[in-house]
Amino acid sequence: MSHGLTRRTFLKLSLAGATTAVLTGCQSPRRWVTLEPYVTPPEQQVSGNDTWYATTCRQCPAACGVIVRIMNGRAIKIEGNPRHPINQGKLCAHGQASLQMLYHPDRLRSPIRQSQRGSRAFSPLTWEEALNTLFARVQAAGANLAVWCGSTVPGHLYDIFQRFSKAMGAGAPIVYDADIQLRNYHALRSADQTLFGANALPVYDLSHADLIYSFGADIFGPWLSDVRYGIEYGRFRTQPLGFRGYTVQFEPRLSMTGSRADTWYAVRPGSEGLIALAIARLIADQNLGSAERVARAKALTAAVDVNAVAATSSIAVDDLVNLARRFAMAQRPLAIPGAALAGQANAVDATTAVQALNVVAGNFGQPGGLSLSQPLPDAPIVDPVMSTMVDVQRLIERMHTGQVQVLLIYGANPAYDLPVQLGFAQAIANVPFVVSFAPIVDETAAFADLILPDRTPLESWGYRVASPNFGVPVVGSLQPVVQPLYDLRSTADVMLMMARGLPDAAQALPYADEVAMLKDVISKLPPGSGGGSGADVLFARFQQYGGWWPATSTATPPATASAKALSVTPPTFQGNEEDYPFFLNLYMTILVGSGQGAALPWLQGSPEPMTSISWQTWVQIHPDTAAKLGVTDHDVVRITSPHGVIEAPVYLYPGLRPDTIAIPVGQGHTDLGRYARNFGVNPFRLLGATAEASGANLQWAAVRVKVEPTGKKETLATFEYIPGIRQGFVNKGVPGE
Amino acid sequence: MRIPARSISVWRLLAAAAGIVVTSAVFLLIFPWQKAEAVPRQLIPFPHVRMVNAGIPCLFCHPGATKSPTAGIPSVDRCIGCHKTIATSSPLIGRLFAYFDQPIPWQRINQLPRFVHFSHEVHVARGLNCETCHGDVGKMDVTVAVYRFNMGFCLDCHAKQPNAQQLKDCGICHY
Repeated sequence: MSHGLTRRTFLKLSLAGATTAVLTGCQSPRRWVTLEPYVTPPEQQVSGNDTWYATTCRQCPAACGVIVRIMNGRAIKIEGNPRHPINQGKLCAHGQASLQMLYHPDRLRSPIRQSQRGSRAFSPLTWEEALNTLFARVQAAGANLAVWCGSTVPGHLYDIFQRFSKAMGAGAPIVYDADIQLRNYHALRSADQTLFGANALPVYDLSHADLIYSFGADIFGPWLSDVRYGIEYGRFRTQPLGFRGYTVQFEPRLSMTGSRADTWYAVRPGSEGLIALAIARLIADQNLGSAERVARAKALTAAVDVNAVAATSSIAVDDLVNLARRFAMAQRPLAIPGAALAGQANAVDATTAVQALNVVAGNFGQPGGLSLSQPLPDAPIVDPVMSTMVDVQRLIERMHTGQVQVLLIYGANPAYDLPVQLGFAQAIANVPFVVSFAPIVDETAAFADLILPDRTPLESWGYRVASPNFGVPVVGSLQPVVQPLYDLRSTADVMLMMARGLPDAAQALPYADEVAMLKDVISKLPPGSGGGSGADVLFARFQQYGGWWPATSTATPPATASAKALSVTPPTFQGNEEDYPFFLNLYMTILVGSGQGAALPWLQGSPEPMTSISWQTWVQIHPDTAAKLGVTDHDVVRITSPHGVIEAPVYLYPGLRPDTIAIPVGQGHTDLGRYARNFGVNPFRLLGATAEASGANLQWAAVRVKVEPTGKKETLATFEYIPGIRQGFVNKGVPGE
Repeated sequence: MRIPARSISVWRLLAAAAGIVVTSAVFLLIFPWQKAEAVPRQLIPFPHVRMVNAGIPCLFCHPGATKSPTAGIPSVDRCIGCHKTIATSSPLIGRLFAYFDQPIPWQRINQLPRFVHFSHEVHVARGLNCETCHGDVGKMDVTVAVYRFNMGFCLDCHAKQPNAQQLKDCGICHY
């Protein structure tokens, strides 16, 4: 061809090509679809109709009742169980997202072995090989066996671990993860022990209160029973005759609850207990409220220097007097010690002092007041006993010195959420054989020699004791709502199989499988609201209704409260003020929580309510502080504590004390599946190993840090326009900008 | 080498003619206005006529029609349950037994788009016969879709009902 392609020809050809592409790309809207019938249809299954099964959520220690929608054998939606006395048909984001655990693409589908720890070079093996290996090791270990569970371990499995360990002569299983620390279980129990002589979790009747003083309690956030308190708070705000309860929030960082409160005090971290004590003292000194309240306040507080408290806490004396007057004059005031108190050096003192305000108010056992969780009935039902920091340190010490031959880890991830200083990584290296039951390889399972993946909660049997409970004791049922997806054995069955080969353990656990055990235990419960008689019927009703609880409230009469004078030690912090000028405020978001939520993409992808950030770790800094440091949004800063260093981008947040920085925990995983790995950083690395005076709580909120710019930038994935969010604070009159 | 001008115009005419033929063929493929559609090939040819002549009611194999949005198709167990003893020597039943432990991949004949909700249960409860929408399947050797299930088809009937105003509401089917 002597002539080349002209412009005209090119356009013609292009048009012809485009037309052909469009025409061939359009397909008929009717396509032939393949229909696959069941080979054998499941019982109760009508094609096209949904079936709902009741079970119990295993995402946090609260143990809400859930119902799961099943279409053609697949679980497709989780909702709250409307009959359940705890959550009354409501459910939080964690519970909703737990569906994704069932279908997680990184779930292990068979037992696996790791030839070299940390190599992540796993090779699959058959169940027979895996169980034989485990049995040989457990038999050889004898009393040198240790079990480490997470806080959401089902009751029956904890019972099996407990009886098994006892039969082997080993110590009781450890129940410990970051959730226990970050939700303040130990200090609340200690406070109730001191004030009411009962080692029980408190229950706050928000629905009928008219005034709430919340000392760092994130009522809507991850707390004792998020969903139930969310319902209660709604009732508190919409009471009969249009009455609306009044909330005062004391906390260094504006939490979700703080943002809904009527008054927010940005108090100095660790001063909450002192404020409570000052309020009680002012009621006594200034004769505020009824004579009984004054008398009780006098008995509970020795001399308190209100001016010193005002200086420490950053609340003016006048404000303290007004707060005391409002509390004393209210009909049904309520004081709530929150989770933030648990991480302080004065955790138990402070929690007790706040709880004592309820004694001053005289609301114990009254509507709108404080009561205690109901004790379990006299039946072989077990509520896992949460371990203290001392227990954990003792086990790590035993691991260090080679006294642990076999370590079984279930549902806990200490390699991720324990402070590095506790030396877990070094200690586990001294344990000859480590077994993990994690369904997805997490940081701790990466240290294991053998992983026997458990079935996920929607495929599992069991029971969970709700704690705290509200008026009636509740034992929630767990049942498989779908056919298990893979050929996995439940950990309870694995342990019962081990027990069969060991004479002592076989005597302690004489059950063919976990269902036989559950049937036996459930039939021994006193008559519940489900009714029925006979082991089979009782077990069926137990599953049908989502658990066991008495038909009527069995509220015990309130115990008498102690009237001993209380004192609160001033807070102390790790790191001196010159080198480490900022308080570190770690917190759980309602999405990723303490870390397990990071595995689920629905939780990762949902914007955190106060900042609208997702998939990341960020550092909240007050705009004035940021200006002094020369940083702004998206600038990466280096956070250094006396114990560790992390780097994360800045998010300017006016709802924060200028001397405090806040970081959410839960990200920064190196394992835990594709949705968790390599997102954000792990702020647990900033913590030291020190426990407070009682030995129960880690001092996770008593660390000082310094902040340095790095010059790097990392854009935050925010759902909202950041300056727009900040304008919201200004509009509401939050000081600082 | 140069192609003479005259011959080019002939080529052009031929190309244009071919273009028209191809375009019309493509249009006919995309917009099939015919009432019934082409029939998909089933791995096991299934003659409904024989089942009905043998006296088996529709609901024996499609029991969901009275109690569920979908009529459902019989499980493999249900087919084999009868054919363990009936017509066992037929080569087609031999093909059925190849699926004794796995689902039979039937090709779907009747289908509604995903944005429409339809409940068999409601329509059967109102006294509609299966034949009203599916045609006389009981006389079919090869099952075909007799009607095209578009909105006109549904509204034709809905408009004639005593509560037509309610049944013509968008939200009745599109929710």
